[in-house]
Amino acid sequence: MQGRRLAVAMQGVAVLGAAALLGACATTPIDDEQGPATGPVTLTFQSLAFQEPSVAATKKIVDDWNAAHPDITVNLSQGSWDAVHDQLVTQFQGGTAPDVIHDESADIAGFARQGYLADLAPHIPAATRAAVPQGVWDAVTVDGKTVAAPTLLQTYVVFANTALLQQAGVALPTGPTLTWDALAAAAKQATTPSAKGLGWGLRQPTATVVGLGPNFDAKFFTGSGDTADVVIGDAELEVPRRIHQMAFTDGSLDPTSLTQSGTDVVKAFLGGRYAMIVAGSFIAQQIKEGAPPGFSWTVLPPLAGTSANQAANPQTLSVPADSPNVAQAAAFIDHYMQAQNLAAVAQGEWLIPTSAAARDAVTTATGGKDGWGATLAGADNLVTAPFQTVTKYPQWKDQIATPALQRYLANQIDLPTLRTQLADGWKQVAG
Amino acid sequence: MTARRAGQYVALLAYLVFLAFPLLWLLSTAFTTPAELARAGSGLLPGAPTLDNFVDVLQRRNLAGAAWNSARVALGATVLVLVMALPAAYGLACFRTRLKVVANGWVLVSQVFPVILVVIPLFLILRQVRLNDSLVGLTVVHAVYALPFALWMLQGYIAAIPRDVEEAGVMDGAGRWRVLWSIMAPLLAPGLVATAMFTLISSWNEFFFALVLIQSDTKETLPLMLARFVGAEGQVQLGALAAGALLAIVPSLLFFAAVQRRLTSGLLSGAVKG
Repeated sequence: MQGRRLAVAMQGVAVLGAAALLGACATTPIDDEQGPATGPVTLTFQSLAFQEPSVAATKKIVDDWNAAHPDITVNLSQGSWDAVHDQLVTQFQGGTAPDVIHDESADIAGFARQGYLADLAPHIPAATRAAVPQGVWDAVTVDGKTVAAPTLLQTYVVFANTALLQQAGVALPTGPTLTWDALAAAAKQATTPSAKGLGWGLRQPTATVVGLGPNFDAKFFTGSGDTADVVIGDAELEVPRRIHQMAFTDGSLDPTSLTQSGTDVVKAFLGGRYAMIVAGSFIAQQIKEGAPPGFSWTVLPPLAGTSANQAANPQTLSVPADSPNVAQAAAFIDHYMQAQNLAAVAQGEWLIPTSAAARDAVTTATGGKDGWGATLAGADNLVTAPFQTVTKYPQWKDQIATPALQRYLANQIDLPTLRTQLADGWKQVAG
Repeated sequence: MTARRAGQYVALLAYLVFLAFPLLWLLSTAFTTPAELARAGSGLLPGAPTLDNFVDVLQRRNLAGAAWNSARVALGATVLVLVMALPAAYGLACFRTRLKVVANGWVLVSQVFPVILVVIPLFLILRQVRLNDSLVGLTVVHAVYALPFALWMLQGYIAAIPRDVEEAGVMDGAGRWRVLWSIMAPLLAPGLVATAMFTLISSWNEFFFALVLIQSDTKETLPLMLARFVGAEGQVQLGALAAGALLAIVPSLLFFAAVQRRLTSGLLSGAVKG
């Protein structure tokens, strides 16, 4: 009997231990019904600034704010792009999200639709609103609410090894745009036994394909929210078709690069294995840092099909709907959006600031060198993309579009099969 | 040396190279400048070795603070697991009760649930008791997460100890607790060390719970800090990441080196031999 009692006691030790620990730490329940803040408040700002100059610029923005607003203190914390979505899912559920959330418009649309983000429209001054093009504001407008302030933008640009192009007799384009036909011709001409004309890191191809899709007026989706439907026509398939053609028909694009990331391809570019690469504008930082002595490079004019349009997917600053300090958080966001601040962060990340005044400041600071001139010019071509308002887009992107495009760009399936897989896959995802 | 023996050495060498290569690459990357890492064709050995990556992670990224947080959480979780798992495993291994079947079944079932499924309810519970954004909360979570497997491990070790030893203690007048702490626990040293190693390493490396529960920079653990070297769209600060990762594995290596002898010697000290 003694043994049995002891057994029961011992088996309960683990459960009791955990319960005691939790119980000992428990205090009063948390008040979920917080009203608007009065008196001094403290805000938390989770920044995703990545490059060191951008991290420093963000810290300075916060320090300047705190010095000027002793009654509204901002505590800066550092997050990571890789994990922000998972983090926000739980933080919104638990009501512990930061007062100012750094993310991107494609990611926050789902949270906004679930009602987690505050409408900033009443709190954004007219001057700040006017400084950013309406098309960019549209990218952060969900169900008529302005759920974020758009801060930085990325475009896909063509980086060129000017020496290799000149050796191949390719004249550097000087027009306002570079057509896809001209890109294909230049890549073909620059291809030699030792170097390919083009490298393109497309390990995750969907973002690039839908981002450059507006070059050919691709929509990908009609409608919005839960009622959206997919559209996969010739326009939507034009970007992958042209990439595939350069890789497997022209032989001017290295197929291996299609399986690599953008940063991987830069190494081969700097090693002289590619005359050109297509990548996000931020890659310029890596090129600048790693370029060997004497390496000459430039950013070519924006790519254009029927237009030079690209999908705008701006980085954003949002405020949780349940924050008791929405007005104060919005005031800090407005401070962040001021031209000099936005310019400093954009320059650090090698991205495009959303306001024209901030772009001017970057131009002044950089003199348009290191590709900044062509990169900043791309801002005029950014348009709202339909996919950003589609609730199931992230799921379709990860589960359907990315693997299907990877198979197509590995020459495993043909274009009609790609079309079928993208369309049928949407039916699975959308139910 | 026979050809057969030579072949064995070659195979062993190849296996060692296979195992060591990632570590060598990490070592090399940690001492390579970002500019060299960005260029193609850089070899395994850095062209101009530098300590800048280590200076970066230690001075500007607060690696030491994150390591201290990780150490506190990992040690706390390890102690909690050992204190809870030893008596519980002893009870489950030695006594035949209906609770044993239920408890073992529950332990097994608890391992089936994916982390992503439990993390939101767990987060809400911890928030209610104000243990979110708390190293104490993270310690409890890591302990609870490691406990089921620790129970299974220790049950196996306890079952392997001959009952004669236990009965001899009882014959000499020792009670159950005395038997457990004075006879079983020393014989279980290898099992306890192995369990401690498992728990410590699991907690030291754990990322997802820490990501969800910890919000303050001052409370971030090592895996969280290292994750911040990875940016959007495949951007990685490779040199700093390698330097941080290299420093992060040093405590694990030291711990293994310290307990390895204890682990093997304990296994050899048979209780009923002779």
